[in-house]
This record gives sequence, structure tokens and C-alpha cells, in this order.
Amino acid sequence: MSSTASQRALDYLEQLPGTTFTKLYQQPSTALAIFRRMLPHLAKTIVMGMLYMPTPFAAKDLESWVKPDNESTQARDKAISILTRLRIMFEQPGRDGRASYVLAPAFAKALRLALTGGGNHRSFGVPSTEPEKAPVTVEYLDTFARKQWEAILYYVVGSANTSLSGDVEVSAGTKQLLQKGMFVAMKGRQTYITKQGFEFLLQEINAQVWTLLIVYLEVSAELQMDSVDVLSFLFTLGSLELGVSYSTSNLTPTQMQMLEDLTDFGLVHRPSPSSTHYYPTRLATTLTSDAPALPNNSMPSTANTTATTNPATGSDEKGYIIVETNYRLYAYTSSPLLISIISLFADLKTRYPNLVTAKLSKKSVQQAILAGITSEQIISYLTTHAHPVLRHATPILPPTVVDQIRLWQLEGERMVAHSGFLIKDVGSAEDYERAVRYAEALGVLKKEFRAKGWFFVSRMDQMSNYFKSVSARRREAQLAGRGA
Amino acid sequence: MPRASAGVLVECDASIKAIIVKINSENQNIYIIEDIDDEHVLIQAAKHDELKARLNAALKDTVREPEESESE
Repeated sequence: MSSTASQRALDYLEQLPGTTFTKLYQQPSTALAIFRRMLPHLAKTIVMGMLYMPTPFAAKDLESWVKPDNESTQARDKAISILTRLRIMFEQPGRDGRASYVLAPAFAKALRLALTGGGNHRSFGVPSTEPEKAPVTVEYLDTFARKQWEAILYYVVGSANTSLSGDVEVSAGTKQLLQKGMFVAMKGRQTYITKQGFEFLLQEINAQVWTLLIVYLEVSAELQMDSVDVLSFLFTLGSLELGVSYSTSNLTPTQMQMLEDLTDFGLVHRPSPSSTHYYPTRLATTLTSDAPALPNNSMPSTANTTATTNPATGSDEKGYIIVETNYRLYAYTSSPLLISIISLFADLKTRYPNLVTAKLSKKSVQQAILAGITSEQIISYLTTHAHPVLRHATPILPPTVVDQIRLWQLEGERMVAHSGFLIKDVGSAEDYERAVRYAEALGVLKKEFRAKGWFFVSRMDQMSNYFKSVSARRREAQLAGRGA
Repeated sequence: MPRASAGVLVECDASIKAIIVKINSENQNIYIIEDIDDEHVLIQAAKHDELKARLNAALKDTVREPEESESE
């Protein structure tokens, strides 16, 4: 579950230039967060082993740490590849010219500082000494975080289901961000959930937070915000303590700007927009750990009124959906959010205080498919949220239902379409052969209709250059022939 | 001199293609640029979505849906 979240963060980090890494690794909190969250255990062991090594570490010696069997060497190669992709470890010829590894000096220094303390880097946040008029409790922060985050989810779902709206208004900036990340699409004045939006909903909260933050990172780069500032602040947040207030005094202007946006997401709470301190919420403090991002992930909607009667709450994401072979679906939930997610692909029938019944039908599934949700996504949602009762069986979902959902999708796809260009009248069989082979080499050839002497390509620009050069050569040859 | 026409290449069953050809002839031939063979046609790119919708509508009439039982 958390692997998808860190995978996304990893993918994003990988494409950053090397100089950004050097700057990022100046911060002990960043180095620690990456060490703690992004690295597989073997990579951690390698880093720990090399952390206090004064000289480059010979590749041969590293190999002797790992069992020579197939599985272990694969794990080793993976660890080394992640370490080099994150610019934590470099290959360097050792003193005797043998291949050796060395840790990036900035990273090693920062990690040593983070582990053993010392220095005046303040990268783990500066606790605010200012006395608080009304102390903020952890419960309050959890409620705040959940409200803000659910408002975002409601907005994504609600865009398909306009009758729903949370009690918290999603800020214009966040709405823009959701559009930018293609979680919702605008058609006229109406917003619709997209394929990505549905994928977003299916993730667990920690992954959702990262997904949104990565869109945020991409947008912030367009807004000329310093990505090093943005990233290191996120990693700092991950190392803060829940329920403690931190001072804004050591934040850069970029980070002050971020603080506002992160308040909208529910990652931080500020008593007032101008206050000089902030509280990280559980969404923020779990950014770089494996702990669940919100307690009681099942998200009771009206938390304070019905929480006690909601059997799904407190069972910590145990699953709440039962699917029967007759396509009936029972969902033990009272959360409008979960109900509206189900309504994206199933027809709701009856609603009881703690239970909703629905039915999967061809119409409901194909409507979801029309909105860009795939059958695989529906199946995976039903599987991951299956009620414990269903989990005893293998497969978890009735196979007839799963197959039928797939078939319903196939039915909508009776034709396969490629956009591109149909090329005709190429000339002699020899010319045709050459042109087709050229298109194939370019990787643009989609289909060949040999009997007619036509072929279809996905891109034309290079092909037209090719035809031009062919005809130019031919003209030259003719001229030369006439001249002789 | 080679000629190129931009469009969407549609690959489908012969039966579906027959329906596409029928839709095309009923609509002043605005969809099909080139009828290639039994399983391939070249379609106006701008009209592709429209054709898809018309095809689905046509299929809805021809393919019989099993009755949904509404009993709870």
C-alpha cells in the first residue's frame, strides 16, 4: 500500500537534476526522510555500512555482503540502482583502480547529523515558544485534517455527483490543482471525475496525499517556486511531532506561501492566517513514515454525530463491501463519500442507517466506463474494499461478476482506432517496399495494406521529408540522364 | 507522387464495419474517407466521436439486452 506512494515520490525525485539533489541533501531532515521512506532495507544496510567509511568501498567487497543466489543479487542490484538514481551513491574508481562506491558527501554529512545530532541546521522545525491562548489538541487536529482532506475527495467525487457537497469549501487554488492533475475535468461549467481522479480515490490516504503533493510540486515549479524549498519543507513536515506547534520564523517566503496551500489540504493547521506558528496534522507527520495517515481510515462523514454507530469506523480499513453472484452489492457504511464512490459504478437501491444496497448493472458499469473509469479499477476497488466475510474465499469476488464487468467494458470497444495518415500511390512495388520499411524503422507504421499498395502511419512529418528527398533524388537523376 | 490523407484508421469486425458503412451512407457520406477492406476504414478524425456514438446507438437497437430483474 505505501509502496505506491513512495514509488510516486521516487519517480518524481528521479527526474530532478543533480544540483537539486545536492541542495536537497544539505538538510538533515531531507536526508533522513529519504533514507527512512524511499530506500529498501538492503539499501539502508548498505548506506549504514558505508556511512562512516573514510575511503571508497570496493564493489567486490559489497558483493561479498550479499548471498550469491539469484534472489539476493537481484535485491542487491535493485538497491544499488535506487541509491544511484537518488544520487545517494556514486561509482568511483578506488585507489587501486577497482570499481568502488562512495556516498554523496552532502548526503552522508546530513544523514550523520540527523542520526547523531549536532549542528545548527534547524531543519527539523523550530518549536514555537509562544504560549497558546487556546491549546490545540491532537483530536482537534485529526478532525481538522480529515475535514479538509475529505472536502477535497468530496469535490473529486462530487464533480460526478453534483447532489453531494461537503461542509468545507474547497479553495479555488486546490480546485485548480485538481484540474491540473487531471483528477477532474471541466466540460463547460460542469466538472467531471476523470480516470486519474478515480485512481486517486482508490488509493489509501497516504498515497493520495503524495499524489496531490507531486502535482503541487509540478505546478510550483511552473510558478517559479524553488523546488528545493518546497521539497525540503515537505520532508521537514514529515519529521515534525504531532500536537506540537512550530514557529514560522525559519521559513523562506516560498515556504510561507506553501503553508497557506498546505492548510487548504489539511496538512498543517494555523490558528489564524497571520499567526507565527503552525501545527502539523497527522496527514503531514506521516508523510515519510508507514503509519496510517488518519486514524479510522473509513472516514465517517459526520464524525461527531454518527461515529459511534458506524461499524466501519475503528475497524481500520477492514473493507465494507459485499458482492454477491447476482450482482447485488451491500456496503456497510454511512459515509456519503463512500456511497457516492459506489454510485459512480453501481445503481443504488436502498439506504439503511448503516448499510447501502446497490446493484451492478450493464448500464451503471458502462456509464462509469464512459466517464473514463476502467473495469480493472472497479474490480480493484471492490477487491480492496471487500468485507472480511468475503475475504475467506478465493477469489474474493465472485468470478462471474468480475468477468461480466470486464465483458461490459469490451462490449463498448467494438472498434480500435488509430489516428494518423493513410498513404497511397507510393509508386512502383519497389518504392512501396522501401517506404514501408522506412516507416517501420521509424516506428510509425501502424498497418499495411499490401494488396492495395497503401499503408497507414501514425506520424507524417518524417515520412513527407522522406518522400520529398526521394522525389528530389529522382528529379536529379532525370536531369543527369537528360544531360548525358 | 504519393498522396497522404489524415484521418482515423478504424479496425473492427466485418459486421461492425457494415454498420459503419450504413451509417455513412445514411448521412451523406460525411464519415468515411476511404473504405479500405472488410475490417478497416479511414474515418474523418473530427467525426470519430460522433460516429462512435451513432454506432453505439445503432447497436443498442440491434443487440437484444437480457431483461433486468428488478426484484429485491
